[in-house]
Amino acid sequence: MGGPDADAAGESGESFLSERSAKVFVAGHRGLVGSAIVRKLQQLGFANLVLRTHAELDLTRQSDVEEFFAAEKPRFVILAAAKVGGIHANNTYPADFISINLQIQTNVIDSAHRHGVKKLLFLGSSCIYPKFAPQPILEDALLTGPLEPTNEWYAVAKIAGIKMCQAYRIQYGWDAISGMPTNLYGPNDNFHPENSHVLPALMRRFHEAKVRGAKEVVVWGTGSPLREFLHVDDLADAVVFLMEKYSGSGHVNVGSGKEVTIKELAELVKDVVGFEGQLVWDSSKPDGTPRKLMDSSKLASLGWMPKISLKEGLCDTYKWYLENVKQ
Amino acid sequence: MGGPDDAAGESGESFLSERSAKVFVAGHRGLVGSAIVRKLQQLGFANLVLRTHAELDLTRQSDVEEFFAAEKPRFVILAAAKVGGIHANNTYPADFISINLQIQTNVIDSAHRHGVKKLLFLGSSCIYPKFAPQPILEDALLTGPLEPTNEWYAVAKIAGIKMCQAYRIQYGWDAISGMPTNLYGPNDNFHPENSHVLPALMRRFHEAKVRGAKEVVVWGTGSPLREFLHVDDLADAVVFLMEKYSGSGHVNVGSGKEVTIKELAELVKDVVGFEGQLVWDSSKPDGTPRKLMDSSKLASLGWMPKISLKEGLCDTYKWYLENVKQ
Repeated sequence: MGGPDADAAGESGESFLSERSAKVFVAGHRGLVGSAIVRKLQQLGFANLVLRTHAELDLTRQSDVEEFFAAEKPRFVILAAAKVGGIHANNTYPADFISINLQIQTNVIDSAHRHGVKKLLFLGSSCIYPKFAPQPILEDALLTGPLEPTNEWYAVAKIAGIKMCQAYRIQYGWDAISGMPTNLYGPNDNFHPENSHVLPALMRRFHEAKVRGAKEVVVWGTGSPLREFLHVDDLADAVVFLMEKYSGSGHVNVGSGKEVTIKELAELVKDVVGFEGQLVWDSSKPDGTPRKLMDSSKLASLGWMPKISLKEGLCDTYKWYLENVKQ
Repeated sequence: MGGPDDAAGESGESFLSERSAKVFVAGHRGLVGSAIVRKLQQLGFANLVLRTHAELDLTRQSDVEEFFAAEKPRFVILAAAKVGGIHANNTYPADFISINLQIQTNVIDSAHRHGVKKLLFLGSSCIYPKFAPQPILEDALLTGPLEPTNEWYAVAKIAGIKMCQAYRIQYGWDAISGMPTNLYGPNDNFHPENSHVLPALMRRFHEAKVRGAKEVVVWGTGSPLREFLHVDDLADAVVFLMEKYSGSGHVNVGSGKEVTIKELAELVKDVVGFEGQLVWDSSKPDGTPRKLMDSSKLASLGWMPKISLKEGLCDTYKWYLENVKQ
């Protein structure tokens, strides 16, 4: 499915971390993922970051992207810009989800190659995998079965992005890699009350219940499904690691490898938020998928491990929530 | 995988009732596009908008947008693609995925934005999993791994199908997809290194006849089964789908008729009039044992192919003699 994995640790030639004055374009720098990557790069002393808001640079416009690359000639590109959303958005605006993401990816990858970018990292999502992929999900599961219908538009676009990176590597010998993160959380996440992502939704609900003095919070289901979460600062760390150490054709899963039940998650969030009422399970409501866990042993074998435990990560996230999310 | 299928008779106004309407056939010089133009002209469509690659580079987003804003075609048939054989796909995978994605994304998006009434997107049977059960149903899409040698092209074509479905869901816009089986006919690629078996056999038997050779050696046992459709039948199916089909699901367009490679070779030998020996080198590999699309969905809408393999080969050889440099 893509070529053999070429250069694992140490064979990628020059080093990303040895070039901290090099120009790095982080596409999507204001999102959950992009903003964490910018934070990490700044911490590491990268001082030459090129950042453009959507208003400054619409990545769906081919000529604008080409002119940008011709003018800026970044050395490295991290492609974290995407049209993202929950189940409702995907179901209502499928054309946007597939076409905007295809345009962003095709424009950035192609222009980056044409304008001498040395290395590009493309970010995707665990939803690229088949709905019924064996768990834990290995990279090889890609395209081995039907996608989850509610996000197949986004998934098809992301799969095309992975394949584009592989294809450019084969045809041009160009260093393009892909990383596929598991469920992410952290600062700059979307805490909208209708957001179907369970972790920020739980945090918001427990917080509001605490503020209101509510007696209980009711959560749907039995709490038994298993999920994996990764703090976005760990993802940013993995991105730097992959830029430094990995130049292979195959995409790389980026997960924590640690599962929790939704029940354990809810109890942890309740504890971190400090809600003192009851946590009640409405088991008449459906549970989601029984289990969703990525197999991140490929990344682990390259030498990367996450550092942020779920409890630390939730504390950090709640702190950010209190400082930044309007009450 | 897409929405419910809106089958025959429910598509509202009729393509064939609007033969003065402007029709943009993208890729009009290729095997498929040229056959579609021939068919439309035969049917009296007199307002065809055709642009060569030099006149309109479909990979350029602004150029495509300006074209659609200026021309405002009523119908679009998207037959333009970057195509090639195994060697080309293996050597230029970036071209195969990016050029096709750009063409598709530009044309589908601009067509929608500029009021095109209906668009038909053409793909290929290579969108299906390598080990899809035969005959291959439309539902086989994305149920298993692709054939590695053309996965770049296949991923792009799958994205095109999904774009059409997505635009239908979000906008209620009439975009359909047709997936033809192996095609042959006038304007095919007869290049000696072309790995497509039918034109390769035709060329080889012709050259052997001209040289007075005693035999032609063909690799394998001749036992694999294949399906072929004359490109004029494909063009007829395209018109049929534009007229009758407004469903979300893509539609297989095949003849439903299998032949062994041995039967094909003997038929080509006969049509070309090569009188030497046809020899099978069974030490060489056979390809996939069987590749047949299930076209019953299209058949249930009321379409059948008209051109038998023998007739089609005669027609194609006649074209070959008139058009391919010796």
